[in-house]
Amino acid sequence: MAFTHTSPKKVEGVVATAAAPSFFSVLRRVSAWSGLIPFFLFLILFLFIPAVSVFSQALHDADGSFGFSAMREAISGQNLDAFIFSLKFSAGAASVGVVVGGFLAYAAATATRPRWLRNIVSSFSGVAANMGGLPLAFAFLSLLGRQGLGTKILNAFGWDLYAGDFKLGEVSGLITVYSYFNIPLMVLVTLPAIDGLKTSWREACANLGGSAWTYWRRVGLPILAPSLLGGFLLLFANSFSAYATARQLTDNSKIVPLRISFFLGGDISIGEDAVGYSLAAWMIILMGISMAAYWLLRRRAERWSHS
Amino acid sequence: MKHSGTQRTIGRLLPTLVLIASAVFFAFPLLAMARFAFQNLQVIDLGWNNLFEKWSISSVTASFSDDFFAEALTLSLKLAVGTALFTLGLLIPTAVWVHLRLPKARVFVEFLTILPYVIPAIALVAGIVVVKPHARWFLNSDYSLIPFYVVLALPFTYRSIDTGLRAIDLKVLVEASRSLGSTWVATLLRVVIPNLRAAIISSTFLTVAVVLGEYTISDVLLKRTFPSFMAQYRQSDPRGGYALAILALLGTTLLFVAIGVLSKSRSARKQQPSRSQENEILV
Amino acid sequence: MTSLSFTGIRKTFGTTVALESLDLALQPGELVSLLGPSGCGKTTALRIAAGFEIPDTGVVSLGENVITDTPAHRRNMGMVFQSYSLFPNLTVAQNVEFGLRNRKVEKVKRNSRVGEMLELVQLSDLGKRYPHQLSGGQQQRVALARALAVQPEVLLLDEPLSALDAKVRATLRDEIRRIQTELKTTTLFVTHDQDEALAISDRIGVMSNGRLEQLGTPEDVYLRPASPFVARFVGSINELPNVNGSGQILVRPEDVTISADENELTMRGTVTRVTFQGPVTIISVRVDVVDQLINVHAASGSVHTEVGDRVSVAVAPGRGIIEAA
Repeated sequence: MAFTHTSPKKVEGVVATAAAPSFFSVLRRVSAWSGLIPFFLFLILFLFIPAVSVFSQALHDADGSFGFSAMREAISGQNLDAFIFSLKFSAGAASVGVVVGGFLAYAAATATRPRWLRNIVSSFSGVAANMGGLPLAFAFLSLLGRQGLGTKILNAFGWDLYAGDFKLGEVSGLITVYSYFNIPLMVLVTLPAIDGLKTSWREACANLGGSAWTYWRRVGLPILAPSLLGGFLLLFANSFSAYATARQLTDNSKIVPLRISFFLGGDISIGEDAVGYSLAAWMIILMGISMAAYWLLRRRAERWSHS
Repeated sequence: MKHSGTQRTIGRLLPTLVLIASAVFFAFPLLAMARFAFQNLQVIDLGWNNLFEKWSISSVTASFSDDFFAEALTLSLKLAVGTALFTLGLLIPTAVWVHLRLPKARVFVEFLTILPYVIPAIALVAGIVVVKPHARWFLNSDYSLIPFYVVLALPFTYRSIDTGLRAIDLKVLVEASRSLGSTWVATLLRVVIPNLRAAIISSTFLTVAVVLGEYTISDVLLKRTFPSFMAQYRQSDPRGGYALAILALLGTTLLFVAIGVLSKSRSARKQQPSRSQENEILV
Repeated sequence: MTSLSFTGIRKTFGTTVALESLDLALQPGELVSLLGPSGCGKTTALRIAAGFEIPDTGVVSLGENVITDTPAHRRNMGMVFQSYSLFPNLTVAQNVEFGLRNRKVEKVKRNSRVGEMLELVQLSDLGKRYPHQLSGGQQQRVALARALAVQPEVLLLDEPLSALDAKVRATLRDEIRRIQTELKTTTLFVTHDQDEALAISDRIGVMSNGRLEQLGTPEDVYLRPASPFVARFVGSINELPNVNGSGQILVRPEDVTISADENELTMRGTVTRVTFQGPVTIISVRVDVVDQLINVHAASGSVHTEVGDRVSVAVAPGRGIIEAA
């Protein structure tokens, strides 16, 4: 009789061939997941229910019945303008953050002297990345507002900041302000990625005849690419959904989070508030797509750093 | 690696320039804000001759005597403590469970913790407004903000605790403790948590920073937290409002410096990857 | 086949002297190991050969050419690192052909060379895998294939087996030697593991504190250690007082004779432990005069003794090295 190999499943004491899972194995698996119940419950109550409620209010027609007209209206006309505006400055702010932040992270990661440089950069980034909200808005109002200190200094050099389109609540202003937390956020996300670039790769590349350019083109940047792209998406999502800073800077209703709050806070009829919720719903969808892509990129980057 | 002379010079000059430019970019807004808050002089009238005149901290001390200052500050501090405790109580057992019993779920749970980015504060509060009529008994209390703040801080705090668990050999420690006769609770309290000190401290400080800076939810729900107070006070006294903001910034900076110092002293003792640990406190 | 030589190489890092003045010449086609504890300078010497460190003084030559100032990417050498040197974003085949692409070899030739190399390291059907899908041993084989693909004049190995499991280490070690002898590539092998060095080298350079203590064949280094450091580092050693003079005598366990008789050349002691290890039995003796424990290796079956016996031990004639007090 030939020697056969049976593979036991997670069943106590009984060796079975690949048959249907028994009662005990199912029980084992279920009880393994049961420890996560408090966490899942928490998320359901305080994250999913509000999210679902947003969608439930969004899927209403003008007369209050179920329908998609509010969702459609939320991405047409002035609402569409608002989305495009928000997309524009968010992408812009994210781009600035990626380029400057990426470069800063590289400078800090590779700096050999002075030795405290890297720590200062990463500590400061920790503070600045979380500094959104009011202090940031106030700081830039005092620097670049119409009566701002910076504005006055630039005037002295002959540059009238407000001569053109510049306003803190417009694209250029928002990009400037949001860079303040985007750049540090990018530094925080990129520093570990750059640390993950092993020196042995650089040396192996040189040993095999490759110049610095070859290294970056064929090894370094491809490996960093998921982190950089992921960083862009994170910064984009962060910029798009920021509310507190925008609120203090301006009342520009083309900024989607502000627009949502105007819809929700004002004197509104039933139909209109569905549009407000639809704006929020579309925002959730957009953020969902961005973060899903971010997540996939992050998994890819982690896979390489563990090889 | 050998490079040519010019290559090396540019290589060292460029990063230095960028670092200096960045330092300027990050310092100036803060300086401008401090000047506005503490120097009782309008920008129009400001000149080289009166640069150092009329500085005082009266703008911020005046705010202390406002009726709502103490109330708002205490509320925010209480919320911060509550959020921190809730976070730890929820996440430590969850993270430990995932590490020990359900490693396959790690990826899934990590994914769940970045969902707060998908449903940002403004969307979250919109949803809360919808539910409000049905949960008035809960949402009327100021403390109802706590679970939502836990949600907001989730990406950072979970990552911090997860990193802390990965740095210690959890499985081995727990098995050693259990084999010496400890119950699960005792193991958690006497073995796991003491070894997670750095992660607990850093996630607590992060939580406090988030709570003290959170404006969106408390504004829409009309709760009188410290940031709301700041915004309101600024309407009547801009210089005072800005001064309060500086105070808040100093507070959060001190917290982060404390995290940095504590995580460094911890990792100096262990032979663990200290760098990636301190950088992974955020996402 | 080319020779590699170091002449008067000195390297310091800040105040630490990594290499004092290294003189070492590798004959074409030979495998020389640099053996020593951490910090002895062996890795520094290797990295200077590769071009990743510039010596303070001295000359490195490849054949007739001085290469001390040649940048790393222009020396025609292959290097295998301790670990994690494969490019994670490229497949095994893409890794192996990396150096060939840099030399603008055309696709057809590249592919056939890659195939050859993978067959040499016995990983022919893993070309499309990514490094993270391979085991440690497989990764190092790919690293070896990659280094050899460009037909380097010298092969440099920086502790390539240290990060691997014991079993994999032994197999891979023999394979490296097999491939090296087949291709007749001049090779410099750095390790802290003396078994490795003894097993595969044509010559071994034992280093300590930036100095080359001894350069010789494995037999030379083991049987005729040139200094107390070498005697202690390679193989196991006993330390006995020098009955014929001052200082100590360092002698290998298999060079100690043990018997029941006593005369003026021997030292008396008591057996404390007898450990049977297959072909060899280790007899631990506590020597009276210095109250020290020494180990004696005797062929199993040749000596019959028990714990507690009184015995005489002596250094076999002509063996051992004297260390001044």
